[in-house]
Amino acid sequence: MFKSLPFIGYWQKTTLSLWLIAAQCFYFADTEIISLDPWNEFRLMVEGFIRPDFFATEYLLEAMWQTVSFALLGVVFGLLWGAPLSLVYSNRFVATLCALTRSIHEIFWALLFLQIFGLSPITGILAIGLPYGATFARVFHDILLQSPKTTVQTLPYGTDKVSRYFYGRISHVLVPIMAYIRYRFECALRSSAVLGFIGMPTLGFYLETAFRQGHYHEGAALLMLFIALIGTISLWCRPRLIAVYFVAALFTLPSIPPVDGALLWRFITQDILPPALQNLSTWSQIDLGVMKSLSNWSLDLLVEQAFPGMIVTLLLALVSLAMAHGIAVAGSGLASSLLTGRFISKVTHACLLVIRSVPEYIFAFIFMMLLGPSMLPAMLALALHNGALIAYLTVRQSDTTQVGPHYNGRIDGYCYDVLPQIYPNLMGLLFYRFEVILRETAIFGILGIASLGFYIDSGFSEIRYSTALFLMGCTALLNIVVDIISRRLLTANTGTQISCARDSATRADR
Amino acid sequence: MLRIENLTLKYEEKLAIRQLSLSIKAGEKLAIIGTSGAGKSTLLAHLYQCLKNDAAYSSQKQGLVEGLSTYHNVFMGSLSRHHWSYNLFNLVSPFKLPLSEVTLLCQELELDFPVSKRLSELSGGQRQRVALARALYQQKDIFIGDEPFSALDPLMSRRLLDMVFERHNTVIMVLHDKSLALEHFDRIIGLKQGQLHLDARQDELNSQLVDDFYSDVPPPAVSPILTGSDV
Repeated sequence: MFKSLPFIGYWQKTTLSLWLIAAQCFYFADTEIISLDPWNEFRLMVEGFIRPDFFATEYLLEAMWQTVSFALLGVVFGLLWGAPLSLVYSNRFVATLCALTRSIHEIFWALLFLQIFGLSPITGILAIGLPYGATFARVFHDILLQSPKTTVQTLPYGTDKVSRYFYGRISHVLVPIMAYIRYRFECALRSSAVLGFIGMPTLGFYLETAFRQGHYHEGAALLMLFIALIGTISLWCRPRLIAVYFVAALFTLPSIPPVDGALLWRFITQDILPPALQNLSTWSQIDLGVMKSLSNWSLDLLVEQAFPGMIVTLLLALVSLAMAHGIAVAGSGLASSLLTGRFISKVTHACLLVIRSVPEYIFAFIFMMLLGPSMLPAMLALALHNGALIAYLTVRQSDTTQVGPHYNGRIDGYCYDVLPQIYPNLMGLLFYRFEVILRETAIFGILGIASLGFYIDSGFSEIRYSTALFLMGCTALLNIVVDIISRRLLTANTGTQISCARDSATRADR
Repeated sequence: MLRIENLTLKYEEKLAIRQLSLSIKAGEKLAIIGTSGAGKSTLLAHLYQCLKNDAAYSSQKQGLVEGLSTYHNVFMGSLSRHHWSYNLFNLVSPFKLPLSEVTLLCQELELDFPVSKRLSELSGGQRQRVALARALYQQKDIFIGDEPFSALDPLMSRRLLDMVFERHNTVIMVLHDKSLALEHFDRIIGLKQGQLHLDARQDELNSQLVDDFYSDVPPPAVSPILTGSDV
């Protein structure tokens, strides 16, 4: 398409293609604003943020503590099973298992466990711990691969295997691994808050209640507290205190309701099976008729729910990606002290920090109140959160970028001197975030957008567990396929770009 | 102690050592000299492989761990002396005995800062001494070092070399400091393109011999390779 244009380089082509594809997707997406009086609602919200009411929520401290405690226990559980697996991650079976676990969003795991354990702490901890553990396994494995081998070669002869491994390999990567765990803990706080939207006793629960009932003063206070909680992690999350928090979290867990063994058994052996298989007692009863109804069932699901859901999911993700790109470029420009001077860059930087701390789910929720139920709120939410995150990470790079003495500090100088240097990294980060965006897209189904998550949520609420599970499988497969394709595309053209991006994403984002 | 004959080694697919024969006696202080790419490090690594049971090896790739403290980096020299559970516990919280031993050793090596300091905060010369401390802390009979003083000033090199001599019976060391080799070692061998071009003992050593070796004058002594059966 661009062959005859010698000055359109690789990144320009990528950017233009991204925007062309996104524009087409936007055309097909449902972006109608349905709210009757958005400005009035907006005015009320702004008023709420101007005069937040910190004493309206009855169980405020408890909700905050539960948010922290679920996040902490979830991360610990994830570490317990993910860290050992990272040592055998090169095994294909392990890698596939982790990829599947990881590609299903926390909220779907929570919906699944909700059916088994009810509103028990186990649900929350498992929902966070399972996908996080799978992520730990993969990222630790990647980090360990970068550990230099020279130390192992210089250890004294006769050193036992365990010591060799810990002193020779793991000690090298301890710093990035700790940084990554910290970063994931921050993510876990967001996930933990979001679990409140499906009924767990975390901040999200009170946040949703407040916003839905129009108590914006209360909701604004909760949101501010949540941002403050994430923003001050480094102050209250000291390594020495973590053990104390952990013990406290264990002791203050809400009581775990007893798990009914018979119900659990019924759930595993009957409820989650497709209707055709539910009334069979032995394998021998499977015959042609059963197989036929089974294939009809899955075909119907594919055509009526999985494919439409996938299309909406992809449309949403692609448009969000392009919008995030715009926000990232604009945000990183505004926040760069080389372009806007000290004051504006500091203010923009602070804004980016706040925006990236808010879970996209909460943004979507607020936008939906304003703009009514369409895909637009979800797009804006995803674009804002991810764009701000990418801009935030890019600014770290652009602040250390060297410019020549002729640099004039204007927009043209910025585009000549700084942008070309930071752009590849920005794009690398953007494509790395695509995987995340796609994963997050699915959860907007719970807010009513007809993505795959919508059908999964309906499956659960209609007590059609087999349908929900089937669609969860489809979601996982879609994520994995997209992940493989984008990785191929990126590594084919830019070599190590994605690994650099992932690296800086994990290291810089502390 | 060690005798190798007609040794040929490759380094990164290139021939590094060609048909080299050498014997080393216990108690010898042997310096290896030669230009870059002559195969010194390859030979040294091979010698260590042969002697690894009793030898401490200070490699040019120091193998230090950036994220760990100076103490832990030195302690790694003693990994093989302890059970793994002891080593693991020590990684979290240092034991008193090795801590005092390592602190003392670091003082002797003129590393005058707390041993809790992270390696990433140290300078090049300090790192080299930490690597040396690790090798010394192995407490072996033989010391094999690959330019262990290259980042240090000559005076300190001499003091540290004395420490190495004090604590080891046999010392094999690659050096680029000619005078250090001449003054302190009782045998010097010179490598050129993977072959032995110089092998002189204390009594026949002089500065001229080494200069000739570096300036491509053929050595007066007959090289041991040429006296082999293939002549």
